[in-house]
Amino acid sequence: MVDFDAIRAQFPILDQEIHGHPFVYLDSGATAQKPECVIDAESEFYRTINAGVHRGAHELAARSTEAFEHARAQVARLVNANAEEGGEEIVVTPGATGGLNELAIAIGNASLGRGGEAAKRFAVGPGDSIVVSKAEHHSVLLPFQELAARTGATLRWLDLTEDGRVRTDNVDEVIDETTKIVAVTHVSNVTGAITDVPTLVRRAHEVGALFILDACQSVPHIPVDVKALDVDFACWSAHKMYGPTGVGFLYGKRELLEALPPANFGGSMVELAWMDRPAQYMEPPARFEAGTQPVAQVVAAGVAAEWMMKIGVENIAEHERTLTHELLRIGDLDGFRILGPRDEKDRIGTVAFDVEGVHPHDVGQFVDAQGIAIRVGHHCAQPVHRHFGLYASNRVSCGVYNSVDDVQRLLDVLGGVREYFLGR
Amino acid sequence: MGFESDGLDQMYQEVILEASRARNGSEHFAPDLADESEDTRGAAGEAGGAAGSAGASGSSTFQVTHEYCVPGESHQFNPTCGDEATVRVELTDGSDGGPRRIERLVWDGHGCSISQASLSIMHDLVEGKTVDEAMHLFDLFHGLMESRGKGLDSDEEMDELEDAVAFQGASKYPMRIKCALLGWEGMRASTAQALARLDATA
Repeated sequence: MVDFDAIRAQFPILDQEIHGHPFVYLDSGATAQKPECVIDAESEFYRTINAGVHRGAHELAARSTEAFEHARAQVARLVNANAEEGGEEIVVTPGATGGLNELAIAIGNASLGRGGEAAKRFAVGPGDSIVVSKAEHHSVLLPFQELAARTGATLRWLDLTEDGRVRTDNVDEVIDETTKIVAVTHVSNVTGAITDVPTLVRRAHEVGALFILDACQSVPHIPVDVKALDVDFACWSAHKMYGPTGVGFLYGKRELLEALPPANFGGSMVELAWMDRPAQYMEPPARFEAGTQPVAQVVAAGVAAEWMMKIGVENIAEHERTLTHELLRIGDLDGFRILGPRDEKDRIGTVAFDVEGVHPHDVGQFVDAQGIAIRVGHHCAQPVHRHFGLYASNRVSCGVYNSVDDVQRLLDVLGGVREYFLGR
Repeated sequence: MGFESDGLDQMYQEVILEASRARNGSEHFAPDLADESEDTRGAAGEAGGAAGSAGASGSSTFQVTHEYCVPGESHQFNPTCGDEATVRVELTDGSDGGPRRIERLVWDGHGCSISQASLSIMHDLVEGKTVDEAMHLFDLFHGLMESRGKGLDSDEEMDELEDAVAFQGASKYPMRIKCALLGWEGMRASTAQALARLDATA
């Protein structure tokens, strides 16, 4: 039995008042708060270990390299990726957006013939299709829309059901023999719906397409096993899984990382550089980690991964299912409409909603005045909102530190929104 | 009610909530960014390789309602919250011998109560005013929104802003200043466009 009150107590930021009320944070979908051990790990690194990694021969250089690689291994363990030296499958990126762009650019480079024979398997061009879904965050949609525009490939998308789930009933039509890449979110950052990834992966592999998973909203909340899902690549950010900002991770099957050409060039990713000959690049993951890495942040992200595994990701998911059950009562409030599945099945505790007659900005201001932080706006996913005939919405998203009391306070305050703006 | 706090009630004054519902000067003429049919080009579920950009801005001309007027239009957009306003003005062309005046001002848009109320109150304040008077009011309102809740030093200037002084409370919240200014920026830009047209034909 996990003591979630004790876990909440590990988050110093939650112990404060906002506008004279105890702070309730329900915006973990934007960024999660950090437990003390993560905050300490980052500053402790700077106090005692800081040095360049994978270069230099002095003692701290060795220790920082060890800490950096240990963190990579912890993150790998969290998603069941390979961690042993020489077989690493986790690449450090500047966030999930950075990872997805790096991947799209690398595929674009392969499409231009870079990376030689081995990279031909990634090439896309006219006549090929790239498939996304209408649930995508702009960080998935735009890099692959740009890739399509650069290579002459066609962008297609999987539609959504009425309650905002990625449709898979017509998967055989949307993903066909022309499809080279499928890039889809694991969990929508708006509807909270968990995508039926196995069905999409099976179809993608049936036609020889690569499957890229946006795991930003799944890794912090539910167990993610990249091997069981059989995805080819996955990207997510550290700051949503209780780690620092500025860092993300790209998972790639080892054989694919070995064949993929780099997207960023510079120091620490090249074995031999010449003036008059093509450079010889390093093996992954170094090939994709050009320049000085955010070492302290990576080390702290590794601590966050360890911390999550210590609690048990299934325990976190279970706790958040209880919160989700309570959060879905938002839909029972008069004039409130939930944008996404109304039942707890295959969804996380991220609930977007519309309040009839009251703009999200006003709702957000109203609940903020009571010390409750929620997200308002389009949450970087405009097509999903258009699907619901909206431009913007309100979104609450929970984390491991939230309690049923937090949700009850939110519900009490939301109950007064329409009267305040429409009833006076 | 039980949920008021001083800051909230200072921002959402009665005059603001009323104006956000009254929407004086609003008409329907702009495309709706929340309408799915506006963004889907070509076959459903597929877009061509050349990604176009959804053109929601631009300097389109509309039919003026007075033959002695020149049109100006401006589309204002706050991408963080989706507040959107298209402001249209008709400026007198000077044929009456008087100073240039905003003969007509209409707007189309959607957004939070602060942005909608500000558009409504701005409409009531500047329609019928000369361009110089309208720009003076723009400067005063801008100053009010930069006052961080303190208001303008001069009581006379506060009086000139009439109902728009109600936004003093909103000026305390950096995130909401843009909401209040959206319509005013549209008024200034559309007026500038009409003036440029007049200069071009002069």
